[in-house]
Amino acid sequence: MNISLLAAASIGTGVMMLVAAVAALVVKKLISAIIIVGFVSLSASVLFLLMDAPDVAITEASIGAAISTVIFLWGRGKIGGEE
Amino acid sequence: MIRTIVGLIIVLALSAIVISSISDYSVPSQLLGAGRFYTERGVDDTGSVNLVTAVVVAYRGLDTLGEVVVLFCASTAVVLILTLIPIGANPTPPSSIVAFTAGVLPGAIVLFGIYIITHGHLSPGGGFPGGAVVASAFLLVMLGSNTIPGKSKFLASIESLAGLTFGLLGFWGMLTLGQFLNNLVLPAGSPGRILSAGIIPIISLAIGAKVASELSGIFASYRKAGGEE
Repeated sequence: MNISLLAAASIGTGVMMLVAAVAALVVKKLISAIIIVGFVSLSASVLFLLMDAPDVAITEASIGAAISTVIFLWGRGKIGGEE
Repeated sequence: MIRTIVGLIIVLALSAIVISSISDYSVPSQLLGAGRFYTERGVDDTGSVNLVTAVVVAYRGLDTLGEVVVLFCASTAVVLILTLIPIGANPTPPSSIVAFTAGVLPGAIVLFGIYIITHGHLSPGGGFPGGAVVASAFLLVMLGSNTIPGKSKFLASIESLAGLTFGLLGFWGMLTLGQFLNNLVLPAGSPGRILSAGIIPIISLAIGAKVASELSGIFASYRKAGGEE
């Protein structure tokens, strides 16, 4: 069974995403959780790119990684709390 | 504790169902059905080299119109709810790194977004991603300023104009070719040129303007709403 470089990269990105997603649930500080969720979105975007879907990757990178992260950060600022 | 265990059991059961349903799935060696139709006929039918845009704007243009309406309803609802909250104080000034970045980068980001929008029928992208990229530049501008954004009539009129353009183009196809949103009311041209693919570039532009202005409106109302900062 030979795995191509592309498949290996996809699996690696997927595992990284999974670990980060669990970390976002476990981590104590709210701001760390928000940043980790942004990282999960960015990994998803890379995964879409590896799977030959650049159209979706652009959308995921701009909306998932950039816009929703900032919206969450503003929301955290408004409720003004940790944890 | 019990909640954790029950949740874990539900997740495991759901993943077992998903895995059992896709276990006998194998990637087909050639495209079938609609996918085959689109790849064989797409470029000739629409003149768009990027088949994703050909499907999204030309073949399934009505779905895209519905999607735009959904985004419009969502942004209207968000802005409506957030205007009920009294306007908050000015946010704390950003750090010098953020302020500098927000002064330098937005121009390049807007340019990149416009590139994605106008080349939707040639390279990956199109109205939705490009509009989101342009909106993220406005987001960066708001991050870098320490005042709350004011009212903008300009944004609202851009949004209305873009929506109107999309709808009227649809009716144009209905009047001339007897089909709502028919792509070929303008000539398909030679595939690969920037002015080709019928009305796809115009619709991309309209979608891009609409998405960018709606998302910017949502950011502005988030920024304005009261609360600690």
